[in-house]
Amino acid sequence: MSDSLLRTEKVTFSYSRKGAKVLDEMDIDIPVGKKTAILGSNGAGKSTLFSVLNALNKPASGKVYYKDAPMSYSHSGKIRMRSEVSILFQNPNEMMFKPYVEQDVAYGPENMKLPKEEVEERVQEALFAVGMEAYRKSPIMKLSYGQRKRVTLAGVLAMRPSVLIMDEPTAGLDPQMAYEVMEIAEQLNSSGVTVIMSSHDTDLVYSWADEIRVLNSSKCVYSGIPEPFYEDYQLVQKAGLLMPSVYRMNRTFANLGKCELEPYPHTQSQLSVKISDRCATDFGVMNVVKVDKDTDIPALLASEGLEGLPIGIYGMSARTARNKTEMSVDFMYNGPENCIRKCLSGEDSVLLCDPIMVDKAVSSADFINGNGYGKIDVRTV
Amino acid sequence: MDELAYSSRMVDWAPLGKLLLVMCLLIVGLITESIVVPMITFVIGILLMAYSTNMKIPLILSLAIGEAILIMIIGSGMISIMGDPNEPALWEGQILWFKIHMTATSFNKAWIIFIRAIAGVTLMLSFASSTPIPHLAQAFRSLHFPSEITELIVLIYRYAFLLLERFLVMIDAAQCRLGYNGSLTAMRSYGGAMAGTFIFSMEMAEKSEAALACRNYNGYFPIYRPPRKMSVMWPIVAIGSAVVLYVFGLYSVGWIDMQQIFAPLFGW
Repeated sequence: MSDSLLRTEKVTFSYSRKGAKVLDEMDIDIPVGKKTAILGSNGAGKSTLFSVLNALNKPASGKVYYKDAPMSYSHSGKIRMRSEVSILFQNPNEMMFKPYVEQDVAYGPENMKLPKEEVEERVQEALFAVGMEAYRKSPIMKLSYGQRKRVTLAGVLAMRPSVLIMDEPTAGLDPQMAYEVMEIAEQLNSSGVTVIMSSHDTDLVYSWADEIRVLNSSKCVYSGIPEPFYEDYQLVQKAGLLMPSVYRMNRTFANLGKCELEPYPHTQSQLSVKISDRCATDFGVMNVVKVDKDTDIPALLASEGLEGLPIGIYGMSARTARNKTEMSVDFMYNGPENCIRKCLSGEDSVLLCDPIMVDKAVSSADFINGNGYGKIDVRTV
Repeated sequence: MDELAYSSRMVDWAPLGKLLLVMCLLIVGLITESIVVPMITFVIGILLMAYSTNMKIPLILSLAIGEAILIMIIGSGMISIMGDPNEPALWEGQILWFKIHMTATSFNKAWIIFIRAIAGVTLMLSFASSTPIPHLAQAFRSLHFPSEITELIVLIYRYAFLLLERFLVMIDAAQCRLGYNGSLTAMRSYGGAMAGTFIFSMEMAEKSEAALACRNYNGYFPIYRPPRKMSVMWPIVAIGSAVVLYVFGLYSVGWIDMQQIFAPLFGW
């Protein structure tokens, strides 16, 4: 068995018989368990590719493979496929099916013929994950665009897919909500879900994706880790994209002789520490505190002597526990990056972390510790 | 239909002229007793439709025409077997409590009604497949129809597109969340899609209203490329051909007797 979970082989698709090819003999593979970003300008074929991967559209020619088996377009084949591969459309209005929030979130699990209790549990959990529990009984028509986007995400999460395809999930969202969506994607990936995401936001994607696939003129023009793609300026321009600002700045500093090109920083804090001349030893300590849903956070912080430090939050169970106490948190979004930033300024910080996300949180200090830029002590509690 | 109309070779013909021609042919086919006249109008309708669509009638439209013809066959069949009991029967019988009495008159009457009906369908389709609704609305305006009615026609027409678009979106939304997993679920999903179509289309309609309002809509949809106005030739051709057909119809009564044609086949 190969590393590919989803794979297309010379897939061609157009919306009408004589229409232009939206996908033209496209070969693309999605590795299992990784975070893959699909990049491309408007009209490159990203949304169409996703609809093909979800068996919403059948290619005119070529094949789609899921777990190395060709996709079946029989009714039962499509149901089987969609039970495991879920798609989140870019426009939430295109995903809404029921008039009330809880009904809409329950729609997928109900169709999976799950017991009533499990449907209830999944609805509750999914609404919590997107911060919409308070709107459970609300009519969808009364919600804003961002709230609708959260509800549709909850609807997909409630189906607990093995593969989650997100079509521009951050489009139209405020920056905080965008980070929240990325965190949900990160958490799903930590729990073993293969996440595929399309976006124009190369900055956001650069810090998130393990691998990228770049579409241009109905074909996949690049597959692999991001850096070699951004090295090829012509290819980036041709694909209608921009270099991520962190990548561009790192390159500029390298050209000015301020630092080496490699290792590539993926976040602003990584770039900052890389270009600072000093190899500091006075960085703060990042305390990664494992928090379950039922953890009494103030009591835990008191017992560990971590009161009064800047606090960041990361992951679903940490958010649940925090909501129960309603304690104040300094960094509600992008917790690891903000805690690292605090440590770089010499302060200790606390990251309240979902146990499943601890490895990811700890690895956020690896770039600094592993490349000789200093030492941030990471203490797991 | 609208796409077909905009790509029609007759799209630039004056809408009022087309409407007048079609109405004249329809009326003359209805008022003459001869079966030959509706046959001629049927042929004219087919030719106009063929020219209008460049012989490329979409499958869905062909199916709709086929369905209409099937309904007319059933209707005409019913008429043919409900003849006057005082007249000699061509075919007599009983199915359950229903008495069948087909006479030469009822058989011929059924045929003339059938031909008139399909002639009407082809003529109206030739008009509909070549006239976009905005052109028709413009024609109504030029006839000084009450603006409330004309604009309502245009709004209903536009709303129909919103409904259709929303319904297709709902079907996709259901598909990707296993909405057709089992027949009961599928039925529920179709029901939900229908109800949801109206609920969500109301929101779309509200947004459309706002979109129209912020672009100074004041109860009138201006037309970007107005269709041609009806020239004097149109009434001459339309009324002239109707008169010719009517006179021809007076002389051609009884030229074709359908009962005689079918007699060898059924042994009447």
